[in-house]
Amino acid sequence: MENLKIEIQNKRKSFEDALAKVKDRHSLQDIRNEYLSRQRGIITGIFEQLKHVKPEERPEIGNLINDFKNHVQERVLALQEKFAAPKKVLEKVDLTLPGEKKYWGAPHPIPLFQQEIENIFLRMGFSIADGPEIETDYYNFGALNFPPHHPARDDWDTLYITDDVLLRTHTSPVQIRVMEKKKPPIRIINPGKVYRKEAPDPTHLPMFFQVEGLVVDLGITFAHLKGTLEYFLKALFHEKIKIRFRPSFFPFTEPSAEVDIECTVCGGKSEDCRVCGGGGWIEILGSGMVDPQVLKNVNIDPEKYSGFAFGLGVDRTAMFAYQIPDMRYFYENDLRFIRQFSLK
Amino acid sequence: MKISLDWLQEYIDIDLPVSRLVEVFDNIGLLIEDWKEEDGDVILDVETYANRPDTLGHLGIARELATALGLTLKEQRFPLAETSKNISDLIDVQIWDEDLCPRYCGMVVENIAIGPSPEWLMKRIEAMGLNPINNVVDVTNYVLFATAQPIHAFDLDKIAGRKIIVRRAKQGEKMQSLEAKDVDLTSEMLVIADEEKPVALAGVIGGENTAVSDSTQSVFIESAHFDPVSVRKTSKATGIQTDAAYRFERGADVSFPPEAARMAASLFSQFSGKVCRGIVDVYPKSRKIKTVMLRDHRVTSLLGIEIDSGFIEKTLADLGFQLENKQPGIWQVKIPHFRIDIEREADLIEEIARFYGYEKIPIQLPPLRSLEPILDPKKEKIKTLRQLLFHYGFDEVVNFSFMDPEKQEKFTHDLNPIPIRNPISTKAAFLRTTLIGGLLENVAWNTNRGAEGVDIFEIGNIFQFDNDSYNEHLMLSMVMTGSTGERHWKEKGREAGFFHLKGTCEALLAQLRYGSFFFKEENHPHFQDGRSLALHFKGEEIGWLGAIDQKILGAYLLKHEVWAAEINLSFLFEKQTQAFQYSAVAKYPSVSRDVSFIGAKNVSFEEIRVVLEKLQLPYLEKFTLYDRFAGSSIPQGEVSLSFRFIFRRPDRTLQADEVDVFQQKIIDTLRASFNFRLREGGKIDK
Ligand SMILES: [Zn+2]
Repeated sequence: MENLKIEIQNKRKSFEDALAKVKDRHSLQDIRNEYLSRQRGIITGIFEQLKHVKPEERPEIGNLINDFKNHVQERVLALQEKFAAPKKVLEKVDLTLPGEKKYWGAPHPIPLFQQEIENIFLRMGFSIADGPEIETDYYNFGALNFPPHHPARDDWDTLYITDDVLLRTHTSPVQIRVMEKKKPPIRIINPGKVYRKEAPDPTHLPMFFQVEGLVVDLGITFAHLKGTLEYFLKALFHEKIKIRFRPSFFPFTEPSAEVDIECTVCGGKSEDCRVCGGGGWIEILGSGMVDPQVLKNVNIDPEKYSGFAFGLGVDRTAMFAYQIPDMRYFYENDLRFIRQFSLK
Repeated sequence: MKISLDWLQEYIDIDLPVSRLVEVFDNIGLLIEDWKEEDGDVILDVETYANRPDTLGHLGIARELATALGLTLKEQRFPLAETSKNISDLIDVQIWDEDLCPRYCGMVVENIAIGPSPEWLMKRIEAMGLNPINNVVDVTNYVLFATAQPIHAFDLDKIAGRKIIVRRAKQGEKMQSLEAKDVDLTSEMLVIADEEKPVALAGVIGGENTAVSDSTQSVFIESAHFDPVSVRKTSKATGIQTDAAYRFERGADVSFPPEAARMAASLFSQFSGKVCRGIVDVYPKSRKIKTVMLRDHRVTSLLGIEIDSGFIEKTLADLGFQLENKQPGIWQVKIPHFRIDIEREADLIEEIARFYGYEKIPIQLPPLRSLEPILDPKKEKIKTLRQLLFHYGFDEVVNFSFMDPEKQEKFTHDLNPIPIRNPISTKAAFLRTTLIGGLLENVAWNTNRGAEGVDIFEIGNIFQFDNDSYNEHLMLSMVMTGSTGERHWKEKGREAGFFHLKGTCEALLAQLRYGSFFFKEENHPHFQDGRSLALHFKGEEIGWLGAIDQKILGAYLLKHEVWAAEINLSFLFEKQTQAFQYSAVAKYPSVSRDVSFIGAKNVSFEEIRVVLEKLQLPYLEKFTLYDRFAGSSIPQGEVSLSFRFIFRRPDRTLQADEVDVFQQKIIDTLRASFNFRLREGGKIDK
């Protein structure tokens, strides 16, 4: 029993000696294993010897061993904290690298802008109607009150397929086709491609897009025309835009009005403004009360019903809205141009 | 139309700054496009309308302005220095075609001292942008720009037989015009002739043979009215455009020729001319004054505002209309001949609105009676399509509908192209029968400008002549070449390829719920042999996709492979779509098995698919090809195909041994059908 006491004493001392030499957590781990390993550790070895001690002395020696064990555990733990492995540092990731880009196709500005226009009218309860691009002289001119061989047709320079068949010069034929089939109330817009015999230049093209509209109902007045178009223009541009209705002439409306908006580029202040030419106003819409003869042509009684019609060039308006100087850009289809509209 | 402010003062006294005047013009619909100060005068460029020929002279413009400003037109006087001679002894006028020449007036002035015009007249002529010639020619121009009534002066002594015959030209007749141009005449054209020959192209231009010269002593003034359509046709056919023709073809004032003749004669009197007594006025069918009924309540119901009847009466009277109050609120309005545009009540209401001021008409939203909307499912489908194509990385383009016939030829096609009779250029002489041409044009444009890849689509009509009719089909076309998308550091850019295009087609058909389509390997002249698929939908061919044919690429100077697809949306949209249906989420887990085979390369996926489908395994939920490769580890002419088969029972969990049976059945079938064998290590249970 004394021997065991001395051994504990010695082990305790050698433990202290060994501990004094510990420099890092690895050698500490070695010492911990040497003393505390459950299978081969020194303390386990001493416990083994306990069975040779007389039973009455066992509690005392047992206490001594436990005491030693606790001491070792405490000291190791204390040093473990001291030599604790530095906190694991995550591998450096460069978070400033660019984020992934999803390649998203871009819409062409004309269909895009056309849709903006359509959406405004859809909100006002209009329907969208379309029709053929190849039309007859009757639908394109005759039914719309263009006298044959009249210079009024010169403004609608036409691409012909035969004497009687042509590429529509406006989308108004669709209105005739709708009125032939449907009785009032009618509230439609007609977007689509139209054609003119014009050599391409910065402001003219042989093909462009139009949105025309038609309202026919009981009691429709010129005041309603003004209200509808003003709502539309404010929605398309902005709430504060200045609008001017100016008398004009179209064979299919009576009275007719041209609708101008103020030039937002120069505010009407620049003599040589590229956009308005110094006038301060931009022509945006043609409009008017539907000519009674046009209503008669489609068997609608002009004594009972009245209506208004309007039309605007999508390309021309988009040019103004996006400040694009040359209409031809729309049909070059340069992707450096088109891709900008993925942001619109 | 150029308008001189100084000249307007002959008719009205205007005392307004120009900027204010421009506003007044704008407000009544006479847009001032431009104006400039010149020689103490102001020249306004007024936009006029085809239906308002009365505004093609200073008098008409003055009348508009007087009405707008509440001024009165000054009275015009035309004093004449007369001789004792009678005109009827000097000239005989006959109209042989009353339809084309409803009225012909003439006066004779003798002893004119031909020479330069006085300064005031020269100034007027120069204000119109013309060079003064001599007092006679200048007077004719002066009358035209003053009144919009064209007149012509003949050298009386050069008129053979002193006879004026207004007749159609004889086929083959010729006339030398004042522009020293030989004009070939046809029987469609109206001429002024003497006993022997045509001396003027009626309403268009005079003839050289009767022109006034320095030696001229007596002048015959023609002031006539010609049929607008006839003048327009003659002007177009001969290519001669004159200020006179411009006015006649828009419609002159049939009541005005005598006054215009007198005005000219009066001016000639100032140059020592002596006016012979009387006027020739051949006017076989005198035109009646039109009358139009105007109702007060219609003014209100069309304009949306009540306008004072005093204002209505004064405005219309100032404009030259004569009003008779038939009963309260109803007028009988006589329309002066110079207002050829006024035919109906609405036309008069427009006049009232113009002078009342559009800005004073209130702004109201129309009553929105609810109405049945016109449904257009096509529109919705196009919207879906475009979104999906953007998602797949295609940019949208819009091309002209025209096509170069030379390029059209490369697209051998069973479609008959439609030629345009008067195209803007020979390169745009056809309407397109395919969208691919335009898209290839865009590919060339962009690759020439440094684009590494181009993925684009267009939705638009193609045109075709078929069964005696002109047909339009709505098409969707896509082309792709090179690699698009900005290359990201984490991933490779996407190479254009057939399977991306095919995947896009499949996705959009699925998205629109056109489920029952299939692709079939077929050759097509637009594509390289063995590199195209036809898209079939319920027995109809609705589209194509493949690698564009080399000779077509050559026509667009393209060197790299281009993949293209074209789908006829008109055909597609007619088809019935599948209704969307919810299906219950599976309750029991699936079992998936990956199996790899080695087999002959020439067995197509489609063949395998058909065989597997015929097998009708009850619980095979789906199968996918997840790997396909050939190479050193695979024998020549063979390929390794790895499939994943997913099995599921709706009512309970499948046991492994059950799945084993199905799997063996697949292996056996593929072996029997195509001599496929399992790849070493190719069977992995999961
Ligand atoms: Zn401006």
